[in-house]
Amino acid sequence: MDAAPTISTQGLTRRFGDLLAVDNVDLRVAPGQFFGFLGPNGAGKSTTIKMLTGLLAPTSGRIEILGLDLEKNPVEVKRQIGVVPEGMALFGRLAGSEFLNFAGRMYGLDRQTAAKRSAELLDFMQLADQPKKLVTDYSHGMQKKLAMAAAVIHGPKVLFLDEPFEGVDAIAAGTLKAMLQGMIARGATIFLTSHVLEIVERLCSHVAIIHQGRLVAQGSLEELRAGVAAQTPAGSGDGGTASGEKMTLEQIFLRTVGGSRPTDQELSWLG
Amino acid sequence: MSESAGQERAQMVAIAWLRWRLFVNALRSSRGQLELVSRILVSFAFAVGGLGGAVVMGFAASLMISSGKPETLAVLFWFVSIFWQVFPIMATAFTNNPDSSDLLRFPLSYRSYFLVRLAYGAFDPVTALGSMWSLGILVGVGFARPALLPWALLVLLAFAAFNLLFMQMVFAWVERWLAQRRTRELMGILFVLVMLSFQLIAPLVAHFEKRPRPDVQRYVEILVPVQGILPPGLAADAIAQGVNSRFMTAFGSLALLGAFVLVIGYCLHLRLLAQYRGENLSEVAAASALPNGRSLHLGWNLPGFAAPVAAVFEKEIRYLLRSGPMLLTLIMPVFVLVIFRFGAMNPARRHGTFLAHMPDMAFPAAAGYTLLVLTNLAYNNFGGDAGGIQFFYASPVSFREIVLAKNLTHAGILALEIVVTWIGVSFLYGWPTFDVTIATLAGLLFAAPVNFSVGNLLSIYSPKKLDFSSFGRQRASQMTVLTSLGVQIFVLGVGVLVFWLARHYGNFWIATLILLVLAGISLSVYRAILNRIDSLAQDRRETLVAELCRA
Repeated sequence: MDAAPTISTQGLTRRFGDLLAVDNVDLRVAPGQFFGFLGPNGAGKSTTIKMLTGLLAPTSGRIEILGLDLEKNPVEVKRQIGVVPEGMALFGRLAGSEFLNFAGRMYGLDRQTAAKRSAELLDFMQLADQPKKLVTDYSHGMQKKLAMAAAVIHGPKVLFLDEPFEGVDAIAAGTLKAMLQGMIARGATIFLTSHVLEIVERLCSHVAIIHQGRLVAQGSLEELRAGVAAQTPAGSGDGGTASGEKMTLEQIFLRTVGGSRPTDQELSWLG
Repeated sequence: MSESAGQERAQMVAIAWLRWRLFVNALRSSRGQLELVSRILVSFAFAVGGLGGAVVMGFAASLMISSGKPETLAVLFWFVSIFWQVFPIMATAFTNNPDSSDLLRFPLSYRSYFLVRLAYGAFDPVTALGSMWSLGILVGVGFARPALLPWALLVLLAFAAFNLLFMQMVFAWVERWLAQRRTRELMGILFVLVMLSFQLIAPLVAHFEKRPRPDVQRYVEILVPVQGILPPGLAADAIAQGVNSRFMTAFGSLALLGAFVLVIGYCLHLRLLAQYRGENLSEVAAASALPNGRSLHLGWNLPGFAAPVAAVFEKEIRYLLRSGPMLLTLIMPVFVLVIFRFGAMNPARRHGTFLAHMPDMAFPAAAGYTLLVLTNLAYNNFGGDAGGIQFFYASPVSFREIVLAKNLTHAGILALEIVVTWIGVSFLYGWPTFDVTIATLAGLLFAAPVNFSVGNLLSIYSPKKLDFSSFGRQRASQMTVLTSLGVQIFVLGVGVLVFWLARHYGNFWIATLILLVLAGISLSVYRAILNRIDSLAQDRRETLVAELCRA
């Protein structure tokens, strides 16, 4: 049962001057998991995902992806992962098909395979109708889909997605979700950050929550529910467990990071 | 009413405070502090230029009036006006004002918005210079004819208002065209063509100098009345007529100048009103029909090189082919050859141009210039990649391969340009001799790796985001500029020394030999740096990503 984790970190830490952005994080993501990485704004999500994908050097700690030490084997690790970082990492002055072709070849695909997969991905992402259009002229949602296409063109075993559904319309989001679920069904591991807790709850089997740089919860949704329920005083009435209903991820999240605001604090001057 | 005026005043104060905070906050970084130092130096230069110009203008204006030729004041007014309009385009160029559109989210009245835009223009260094020079003219006129001072003040105020509004109007419309990529690129090409056409002024003047005088006289006769009905001419005429006590005519000229101010102000108003109302300049086009029978687009193949090198090479070439401005920059060497050739044909300058004395040096000189133009690209390898730098870091490709591919692209362009330059030199100056050609190629074999080596290091240590489709305010970092200058002086110095030696002994194979030895050294250095580039790029990844992904 305890297979070697696909992603694991030990004591992962990152400082920016005096700011401790990520503090001693130990993550474990098992093969085939759809893993949601949550946290309030500025909690350290993007910093963590950047470190996991080699975009940012950790101050200390160790990262292993697919059993390989990222620091010692960066190229081998990168060959097996796909990344959609925060800024999407696109080349604006290439057309969509050119960019995908370029991405495919950078990941080691031969010319024919890169071209074939580029065409398939453009069709799948519904981006094939304007083949000459430059990426810089794409809408935000289109760019997101293209970034996703580039991240999967080489068939990665692990996919890292930083806010993949931000700015994506409902139709495109459906397409992306279907693709991601298909990847999971075929054994890939997906690590995503998102602020849309409903999406994470629907897609992810496991979740970790980071708060002020520290990992405050990690496990399956059921494990997290159980953990939060155990910390809730019996009969408090606001936990959701008392009424017999399952706690939503939003409730788990708010309780974990202490996100509730005192009710007596209100902006009386506001409409 | 007074509440509204009070609110407007408060908004103005807030905007001024915002500008001040932006300035102060920029000083937190060492880069911002360096910028401040350079700004102080530039401001000093501007102050000297402004004061010096004002004295010259004042002296000239006084002399023109005292000598009974007040109509020649037009020369001064035209000079000030052309400088006022052209210099901002060359120096600060086509960039959106970062604040103005952002301000529209606030409850700013249109009047405040208009005033803010004017205020931005008023604090422009060129406005300060133009105003100081106009003040110089005013003092000069007042010195020559004290009684005319109030009238001259009125005329010069109208003249300054025209220049300020005209500059703002041009920028507002240019901003509108630059808001869309395609029009932006067209504007870029147009800009380069205008800049290039300036280079032709001297050869054309030289050309006309050779023609019979009556011909030139005829052009002058046509131009003088035309300039007289344009704002600088009108301003000069208003003062000149005042000097001659023809106040009705003077008033007529001032009224016409005022009409120009109103028309220009109205054009500016149209543009700013459209901005204020939130015009939509979206570039997202409607989806076109799916083309039938699409064939697969295969990437390029670069024999002898790995697939990633070929992929980056292809990407670089595509980027360049889509960058009209950059392509135009690359044709500069041939253009400069033409200019030099015209210059050399001018009998008056025949003794002045070194190519007229040493036509055999045309090819080495042109090759050197070609390499110089290319440093624009080679010293900022990742500038055009912007956010794409993250892709490079996330991909399983070493920076050694990526940088090699970029250097290959630049070397390919250099080779192509050298061929074109060689053909150009052959047509304009005669065939370069075989020994000079070989010596020049040996020189390039030395100079290109030196430039690529330094360029690769600077690309990692002092990157700067570039927009290949636009101009202006895309200066390289100060560090890059200074280092580049040092490298060019070194390379050029070595080249000149070696070619001088070869010419002295009448044997260019000496130059070839020396330059080949130097090429061996520079290639070794290049290779050593290339082998280290991966670890350097990894060490500097945060700086690179932060700089290039900057919005």
